[in-house]
Amino acid sequence: MAAPFLEVEGLTKDFGGLRAINEVTFSMGRDEILGLIGPNGAGKTTMVRLITGILRPSKGKVHFKGHDITGMKTWDVVNKGIACTFQNMRPFRRLPIIANVMVSCLSPRAMKRGEWVKRVEAKAMDALEFAGISDMALEKASTLSQGDLKRLEVARAVATEPELLLLDEPFGGLSPAETDLMAKSISRLHKGGRFGRLHSEGPAMIIIEHKLQQLMKIVDRILVLNFGTVIAHGTPEEVVSNQEVIEAYLGEGGA
Amino acid sequence: MYWLMANLRQAGIIVRNEVFVLPSRIAVLVFVVALLALPIFTQDPYVLRIIILTSVFALLAASWDFLSGFTGQMNFGHALFFGVAAYTAAKLNLDLSIPPWGSIPLGAVGGVLAGLVVGIPCLRLRGAYLALTTLAFPIILMGVVFALPDFTGGELGISGLSRLSGSRVGDYYITGGCMLVFCFLMWKITDSKTGIILHAIREDEVACRSAGINTTRYKLMAFCISGFFAGISGGLYAHIMRLAGPSTLEVNTSFLVIIWSVFGGMVSIYGPVAGVFILFPMLEFLRFIPQARMLVFAFLVLLTLLYMPEGLIPWIRDKIEKVCPRCKARNLGTRSNCRVCNAVLD
Repeated sequence: MAAPFLEVEGLTKDFGGLRAINEVTFSMGRDEILGLIGPNGAGKTTMVRLITGILRPSKGKVHFKGHDITGMKTWDVVNKGIACTFQNMRPFRRLPIIANVMVSCLSPRAMKRGEWVKRVEAKAMDALEFAGISDMALEKASTLSQGDLKRLEVARAVATEPELLLLDEPFGGLSPAETDLMAKSISRLHKGGRFGRLHSEGPAMIIIEHKLQQLMKIVDRILVLNFGTVIAHGTPEEVVSNQEVIEAYLGEGGA
Repeated sequence: MYWLMANLRQAGIIVRNEVFVLPSRIAVLVFVVALLALPIFTQDPYVLRIIILTSVFALLAASWDFLSGFTGQMNFGHALFFGVAAYTAAKLNLDLSIPPWGSIPLGAVGGVLAGLVVGIPCLRLRGAYLALTTLAFPIILMGVVFALPDFTGGELGISGLSRLSGSRVGDYYITGGCMLVFCFLMWKITDSKTGIILHAIREDEVACRSAGINTTRYKLMAFCISGFFAGISGGLYAHIMRLAGPSTLEVNTSFLVIIWSVFGGMVSIYGPVAGVFILFPMLEFLRFIPQARMLVFAFLVLLTLLYMPEGLIPWIRDKIEKVCPRCKARNLGTRSNCRVCNAVLD
């Protein structure tokens, strides 16, 4: 049997005496979109950071396409085909928006994949085009609004042409119209294809989100974390009717 | 002959269309021409010596800007690269009789190794912690210099190095030429794709790693490149003074480099060069009031930083030029339309 696309095995992370992630195990397939939800402080962002190598796990393993990537440097993980966005956006504020994306285009993975594209700028422009902010390419990143910063994060991640995309609250702080636009962009990206000179592999995705109504429309499965432990796992319909999930969100009386 | 004329004509067109359109570019051209033409008008040894030392320190300040300004690796011990290269060049010149054209580049290799020695342990450090750790290295090396007087010459240093060239004018053109060429090289690096990555590391290292960039490699590269250019200036200094002493490693040297760079304007390469060319000769000029010399110097630096926090040169540049809101090209301040896209300027 082929190895799962992404396999997380007994992943644990301790910060001193606090266990942020507790023996989390799950796997996902190549064409899946997995939702990762849970109340504030449940450990969702920590989980993404453990997979991308920004944090080192205290225990457990992460396998990507059959390779052990546990504790690898972040740039090695990204160059293997995993890209992520940040919940609190981290643009290179004093650089023009196009230069923000060019940094991703200059990663070894992106350089290898776009051999026929001579100009990195053209590829970066296509990523911005995909994200819908190409008209502001020459502006400094510090001038962008919250919604545009989210798009910039997506453009930067897409520019590495990932096979697995980890999106940390892509709808956070967006207006309903912007949320719809972002959801459409995500679905379009997942379908794959060519966006100008950029090639989308149709990446698998893990999406952390609090706007559950939007999330339910685009994910195949949902994993629910509470206090660092998986409390539910299944299709969106199964998860929303799960008693433990309702209690985690609303408290014991809320159910 | 025809080929030469065609090329000269092409160069003339480039200068007219690219240089004479912006005051900052004209200023750079005037500076380069003035620097190269100065010995035609005066060969006063004192004036030439001041400009020679200014050129050496300008290269040192630009190398600091490359590491600390562009890459954000705040280095409070830049004198280490300068001192290591000065001592290396001195030892090679005196013990192995290697002439300056060999000892200076080899001294710069010493600067590169010093860059690695500082860079590797400092990879995980940032901000104030990095600054204080880098400050410690030249102090440690100065202790070593005093502990091994037979090898390093102790407090007196190593003297009697061979001259850089046979004449003061020769020294002038070698140091001035090296400064111009190496500063141009540094500027080209910062203006390249590598430069974008160095900028990104300064802005947010975690985000840069998450974009798939091996930041460790680029940070070490920045330490080595900066160490190399600082090393060139250290080697030149040793051969001009014909001495490599502990003063090259002093904390004062490290901090002067920072003051010059911040005064002129960090993250520009040309800012620190301008800072040195203003402040270093000014300190010499103020020698007729020796008691108040440092006071005037400090007052001027304070005033500049108070009213021009970005530094003197970016402040002047922003006053005489404006950026096009559409294409971001710089234009002469008096223009009403952009010279590139013809958009209306504010």
